[in-house]
Amino acid sequence: MTTMTMVKALNSALDNAMERDDSIILMGEDVGVDGGVFRVTDGLLAKYGKERVLDTPLAELGIVGFGIGMSMAGLKAIPEIQFQDFIYTAMDQIINQMAKLRYRTNGDYTLPMVLRTPYAGGVHGGPYHSQAGEAYFAHTQGLTVVTPSNPYDAKGLLLSSIELNDPVIFLEPKRLYYATKGDVPDDYYTVDLRKANILKEGDDLTIITYGPTVPLVMDTVNKNNVNADVIDLRTINPFDVDAILNSVKKTSRAVIVTESPRLFGVSAEISATIAERAIDYLAAPILRVSSLDIPVPFALEDYYVPNEQKIMKAINKVLQYR
Amino acid sequence: MEVEIMIEEADISNEKVLEAYRNLVMERMLDKKMLNASRQGFLPFYIPLMGHEAIHIGIGLALRNIDYFYPYYRDFGALVQLGIPMDMIMSQVFSNASDNELGRDMPDHVSFKKYNIGAVITPVAGHLMSAAGIAYAKKYRKSDGAVLTTFGDGATSTPDFHVAMNFAGVYDLPMVFLCENNGFAISVPTYPNEEGQSDAYEETRGPIYKKAEAYGFEGIRIDGTSFLEVYKQTRKALENASNGPVLIEAMTYRMGPHSTADDPNKYRKDEVPEGSDKDPLIVNQKILKDMGILTEKKIQDINNEIDDLTSKLVDKYEKAPKPDKKTILDNLYETDPWYITEERGDIE
Repeated sequence: MTTMTMVKALNSALDNAMERDDSIILMGEDVGVDGGVFRVTDGLLAKYGKERVLDTPLAELGIVGFGIGMSMAGLKAIPEIQFQDFIYTAMDQIINQMAKLRYRTNGDYTLPMVLRTPYAGGVHGGPYHSQAGEAYFAHTQGLTVVTPSNPYDAKGLLLSSIELNDPVIFLEPKRLYYATKGDVPDDYYTVDLRKANILKEGDDLTIITYGPTVPLVMDTVNKNNVNADVIDLRTINPFDVDAILNSVKKTSRAVIVTESPRLFGVSAEISATIAERAIDYLAAPILRVSSLDIPVPFALEDYYVPNEQKIMKAINKVLQYR
Repeated sequence: MEVEIMIEEADISNEKVLEAYRNLVMERMLDKKMLNASRQGFLPFYIPLMGHEAIHIGIGLALRNIDYFYPYYRDFGALVQLGIPMDMIMSQVFSNASDNELGRDMPDHVSFKKYNIGAVITPVAGHLMSAAGIAYAKKYRKSDGAVLTTFGDGATSTPDFHVAMNFAGVYDLPMVFLCENNGFAISVPTYPNEEGQSDAYEETRGPIYKKAEAYGFEGIRIDGTSFLEVYKQTRKALENASNGPVLIEAMTYRMGPHSTADDPNKYRKDEVPEGSDKDPLIVNQKILKDMGILTEKKIQDINNEIDDLTSKLVDKYEKAPKPDKKTILDNLYETDPWYITEERGDIE
């Protein structure tokens, strides 16, 4: 057990996995010699060599497509896209090849691969280094979309994703890369996919969140003594419907917190699911707290993202609803 | 676009050459019959093959069992020449219950992993980086053979083509890029129009095969109407691919429409009518006659035999049962998520 940041935990996961399985190949811009711009792949080139840790030309569609081909041929590719904001030139590869390969061939080909990418804000990156685009991936049938909220989960979820025999979009909240440290086993372990984590139990309402906003939600409820169930989804698609419904049926009130913008997003899906399946239990409208429905502004990012005040306003509104 | 036809003595037996010719005739006849099946409503969509037969047969001859083939959607005859069971090919084209893809994808979008054949994808050039990744896996595992991937001329305008060519050069991949240049990307001509043909701009000005040079490897242009020439050049490229990638531009003419949804009369005059000197069927008959392998009588005998065979094939597969509707939710993931389990109840 070592106290480490999320970056170090992710690095440890990759190291453990590569040590056990020589079919794992990493690739991406600056992931080799430089160790990745956030240092997630630091030291891996030196340890595993340039046949397994590939610095690539600057072409996202190439990075993703290269990984797809390797995984089709029996390797296990773990490509990195340097910032999620730059993934869009690879979206054709992700949506049309990666996500559909198993279905359209009826399983003739399967695609075990993990596409890692730092995502969402927190580094004053403006419109092109801060996007939280999980909805694009969650809306694509065939992908598993995962995002961790702490160092322990980051390592365990990444190792589970590597074990999966299907493609995973692994979204790493860059605001949490160095924000906190946690105890992380040095050895190999996994954290279940498709299973939410109940971070805190309470009777008054249910707060559903994931990834970059989890620490903010926990700080907010602890500081304000909110008696809430707090659910960290961990896997966005397929999300843990039972964890959500069981909690909402108990508390009768729900608030969903995401860093991505509100309209047509993941919180809309969760809200609709609750409304469709538990409306008889609800005592208040389901509220969403999110970033504003605009691109990420460079200088005023703090006003764009959810914060304690916005979350408390929504909590108080559902608690006081009559 | 003048291409010199060079036929040296083929290093394959006359028997094999004759079998390849039979497959070429089979592709031509099946093409017509499948197009007809499409007009009669047995196929909702069909991709015509006419003009490409010699490239397909040449590729099928060139590939060795150590190689991997990632085709595009117009490579039917290559699959036949490779010896993939006709039952697998025809079941896929007609989306039958016996299709290994269970009718999930369009005709000619095959996936035959056990024969080292990739999963054909519709978006043009969408498979080229996959082919590069497969070539990397071969190199990493130090396995013999190379990857051959095919695509049309329109594909060379896509980012995927240029990125894949660049990756192939950078990582020295054992890989052959083969462009089946039929002169048109649907209505847009590959190279500048002849005066008066149409108002369309061209796909490109620089010759396709020369683009390889910018990525650090060799590109060649070959005659795509002679299957022996395609065989010879493609085999040579596959054998040399351990030294790095090669781009082949195989020249031919798309004698039919792009797909059953296309009417070429709107944008071109037919430069290679069926049965004319540049029709690959005629070109290869002449070559094989000169080699003493074919005679007029043999041509007639093969025509009669293949006509009968192909009619029976199309008749069998157009009437075969379709996949069970209960299968449509299978294989999205290895393990069904809760919503797929629920949606199973919705199939009625």
